[in-house]
Amino acid sequence: MITQVPHPVLEVHDLTVSYDQHPVLWNVDLSLPAGQLIGILGPNGAGKSTLIKSIMGLIQPTSGYIKIFDKPLPDVRSRISYVPQRESVDWNFPASVLDVVVMGTYGKLGLFRRPGKKEVQIAQDALDQVGMMAYSKRQISELSGGQQQRVFIARALAQQADLYLMDEPFAGVDMATETAIFQLLQDMARAGKTVLVVHHDIHSAMNFFEWCIMLNLHLVASGPKDQVMTEELLRKTYGGKLNLLTQVTDLIRKQDFNPLKR
Amino acid sequence: MTFDTNAFLIILTGALIAISCGFLGVFLLLRKMSMTGDAISHAVLPGIVIGFFVSGSQRSLEVIIGAGLLGILSTLMIDALRKKAKVQLDASIGITFTLLFAIGIILINLFAYKVDLDQECVLYGEIAYLPIDLWITPSGINLGPRVTWLAGLNFFLVTGFIYLLFKELSLTSFDEHFSSAIGIPAKGVNLALMSMVSYTTVSSFESVGAILVVALLVVPPSTAYLWTKSLIPLLRLTAGLGILIAILGYYLAYWIDSSIAGMMVAVAGAFFFCSALIKGNWPLGIGGTSKSSPAFDS
Ligand SMILES: Nc1ncnc2c1ncn2[C@@H]1O[C@H](COP(=O)(O)OP(=O)(O)OP(=O)(O)O)[C@@H](O)[C@H]1O
Ligand SMILES: [Mg+2]
Repeated sequence: MITQVPHPVLEVHDLTVSYDQHPVLWNVDLSLPAGQLIGILGPNGAGKSTLIKSIMGLIQPTSGYIKIFDKPLPDVRSRISYVPQRESVDWNFPASVLDVVVMGTYGKLGLFRRPGKKEVQIAQDALDQVGMMAYSKRQISELSGGQQQRVFIARALAQQADLYLMDEPFAGVDMATETAIFQLLQDMARAGKTVLVVHHDIHSAMNFFEWCIMLNLHLVASGPKDQVMTEELLRKTYGGKLNLLTQVTDLIRKQDFNPLKR
Repeated sequence: MTFDTNAFLIILTGALIAISCGFLGVFLLLRKMSMTGDAISHAVLPGIVIGFFVSGSQRSLEVIIGAGLLGILSTLMIDALRKKAKVQLDASIGITFTLLFAIGIILINLFAYKVDLDQECVLYGEIAYLPIDLWITPSGINLGPRVTWLAGLNFFLVTGFIYLLFKELSLTSFDEHFSSAIGIPAKGVNLALMSMVSYTTVSSFESVGAILVVALLVVPPSTAYLWTKSLIPLLRLTAGLGILIAILGYYLAYWIDSSIAGMMVAVAGAFFFCSALIKGNWPLGIGGTSKSSPAFDS
């Protein structure tokens, strides 16, 4: 169940990615529409982070290519924003919350130029949007896990990009903040930005995503939410994890959201 | 007390070197690469020998270039061993610098009949002789101690480097992936930093020696890091410590008639241990932040 779109924002063509000659993503071929909030779903080790890193050019694919805004990555870097998994950095680094969020503006600044008033303003607005304004002077080593995650989201917002790639941005973030940020991302999508989010909670995935990519080493599905969030495809994605699947089916029933009955 | 020009020049030179090393050391520390500085200071030896062999002088540009190239080579080698051969960082550092250092020693022995490399000077350095080693222009004008000029140039280049690349250095130290993702070349910035470390190491050899330069790269930043957790104060405190170390090191060495460079590092070490004692988390209730934890938990 893979829906291709004309004039895609992101086109992944026959992508195979390996670590040490050992492929972890096989022939992923998809295209994504602009102005949507898109979820990437899949179990641990499915290759979700690998897909995002390949899109960001951090890993060289074994075969296949990726086009963003119909161009190769180096031409459009400044239009892409990236939220890595939180564990990828050392949070003991001596920097304040504001320092880290200002880093989001570095890509547009280019070499040698220093951030000024304008960049600080952008960073403060971004902090405001994730509800972390009160913490802007705090050292990042003194934040809770969820707050660190919100700082990373703010840094991505400060990039003012057109395409956002977020790897588990809500890990450890409380429900209220998650919902608030999801609404913010929805607004951004409505304003024409494309937002890709790796997400583990199928419940909120149902609520907020308009388009879903389901991944488990192979691409299982990519398409509008109501067409791909089916029991069959979820089973294919998550394999025999029945406990989870019963929960999901329950959820589908409870929400009276059953695309199978359409 | 009359103004002692020699004392002033020695302290000035010591402080310039301590600050240059300290500034670079802060970024090495933040990248958890302090020992790379150690590796580089040893790995440059073959470069020095070859440079010396080519130019016939211990204080030529060739020596600095040779050392710089070897410094970069050792960085690349450490990186390749770690990323490509999947060797642990500490092991790849150990393998790289011992190997290159050994090659340097073999080269010294091979060329020994042709070159007269002062190994004592390269390894230990002697800042006290600086006032008698003057830079005199061909027309005979005395411009003052050569080593002070070298240290000044080094300080100027290191400070300029950090000023210009401050944003890149801090971002790549914090989040290498993100910086590559937004198009700031993390690898290039890293190599530039390592080249500066190599150059600084060699430039400081003559005055403080190869071994002691490592101490200046590692100890003052680590001391400052015990006191502050933000970047700009960290750099300031490191610089302040550098100046203090030079002054105290000089007078203590003068007083007990010992090696100035050695005393500078001893002072740095003393600062570090006092800071660690005050800021550390010790049992027995010594130190400010320690909280004695109850011994009974059942
Ligand atoms: N640096 C690496 N070297 C070797 N194998 C790796 C590396 N990173 C990931 N892998 C392997 O690639 C596969 C996909 O990993 P990836 O990190 O993309 O999964 P993921 O879908 O993001 O999982 P999670 O939900 O746990 O974040 C896994 O089987 C993992 O073991
Ligand atoms: Mg992942």
